[in-house]
Amino acid sequence: MIVDCDVHPYFSNGLEDLTPYMSESWQQRLGIGQSASWSKNFAASQFVLPLDYLYINTAGATRLDSSPDGKIPGSDPAFMAEQLLDGHGIDRAVLIAGHLFGIGAFPDPEVAATVAAAYNDWQQERWLEFDRRYRGAIVVAPQHPEAAVAEIDRCADRDGIVAIFLPLHEIALGESHYYPVYAAAERHGLPIITHPSGTENVFARAPRMASTPTYYIEWHTGLGQIHQSNVLSLLCHGVFERFPKLKVTIAEGGFMWAIETMLKLDRDWQALRDEIPWVKRPPSEYLREHIRFTTQPFVEPHRSEQVEQILDMAYADETLVFASDYPHWDFDDPKRALAAVSPERRRRICEDNGQALFGDRLN
Amino acid sequence: MQRHVVARAADLPPGSSLIVELGGRSIGVFNHEGRLHALRNSCPHHGAPLCLGAVTGRMTPSPTHTYEYSHEPVLRCPWHGYEFDLEDGRSKLHPDTLRVKTYRVEREADEIVVYS
Repeated sequence: MIVDCDVHPYFSNGLEDLTPYMSESWQQRLGIGQSASWSKNFAASQFVLPLDYLYINTAGATRLDSSPDGKIPGSDPAFMAEQLLDGHGIDRAVLIAGHLFGIGAFPDPEVAATVAAAYNDWQQERWLEFDRRYRGAIVVAPQHPEAAVAEIDRCADRDGIVAIFLPLHEIALGESHYYPVYAAAERHGLPIITHPSGTENVFARAPRMASTPTYYIEWHTGLGQIHQSNVLSLLCHGVFERFPKLKVTIAEGGFMWAIETMLKLDRDWQALRDEIPWVKRPPSEYLREHIRFTTQPFVEPHRSEQVEQILDMAYADETLVFASDYPHWDFDDPKRALAAVSPERRRRICEDNGQALFGDRLN
Repeated sequence: MQRHVVARAADLPPGSSLIVELGGRSIGVFNHEGRLHALRNSCPHHGAPLCLGAVTGRMTPSPTHTYEYSHEPVLRCPWHGYEFDLEDGRSKLHPDTLRVKTYRVEREADEIVVYS
């Protein structure tokens, strides 16, 4: 059973798609729906989902064959089932809210929480009830832990829910800000998934890269920076000592940097652990037990035999889970992208590790 | 070599393309500004349906912080954006190691004919 851990459903008409899932009061606040007329005049008078408006992908951002009849890629559950699930032999596709990557940048936490809740209802009705191969991640507002916990409690037992999508925010993942969310995740047995926000360095409360990239290619290639900071934060704050059943999956951020992070952190920890005495074991052990990385975009080293060496060093048999990132432009097919990987290891990455991560909720 | 009539010439005007199945192979036939091209519909990188991609111009190497757009056409893969020469099927970046098979294609009277 091939498990795809990063698939993006999209709206057809932006926030308007969420109108049926919001109260009239919130429609008025956001300027969506029939009755809200104040928002139709000018760009800065509309609420829009924070996205990557500054780093522009000159290759088109999505697979060009994913938009039949001019529809927005990823907006049609039937076409996605045909192209991705049937076409690439995907048995379970974990949906990560494509339009909501950046809600951590909303200045108003209540707006982020309301949009997240409406999305969760939209996802349930439009996707999870459409085809049992789709599985959902509950999206929550990272700047509003209290609402995030309430949202997890509201949706955790719904049919088809397998994870929590925690969009990135300016606060690093190891900080106590998030502990109520981690406690809720543990309580419901749901892994956390994070994903690049698309708002890095664009908005004040977005996650930040070390400097502001000039070009999309700099931004995209450098996304591992944010994930590396978050992994260090999780490990050094001892989050997995406090939440021993918590799993965190890092989507679409690469994993080769994690090799260096593990080795260097273990080495530094030998001498510096008086600073973080709650980290009782070599930090790499916590990483291997609790943190997972999605494969896409998969490594393409200059010599293909180096793929297996890299996977050995990354403890891929434990740490990697397959993802296609459909319908994005750097999509990976499970067989073609992982062609240089041994069949046994490919089975672990594409099937076993994902099943272990999501457990019975995948059945 | 087999001769396959794949379309009437009027059905493949400049700027259009079609995909045909010949001997179990999917092949894309393009009319770019009156010149015909036929290529295998499978990208040698990851097997994407290459011929669903766009025929476009591209930026050519230029001095830093300047752009020079060339209208010389390339076929751009719909998945990862790899660019191929319509004429010989060679990748623009890796011409010696990455190449998609091309086929002879002719306009014969009012028919488009592919030889495979």
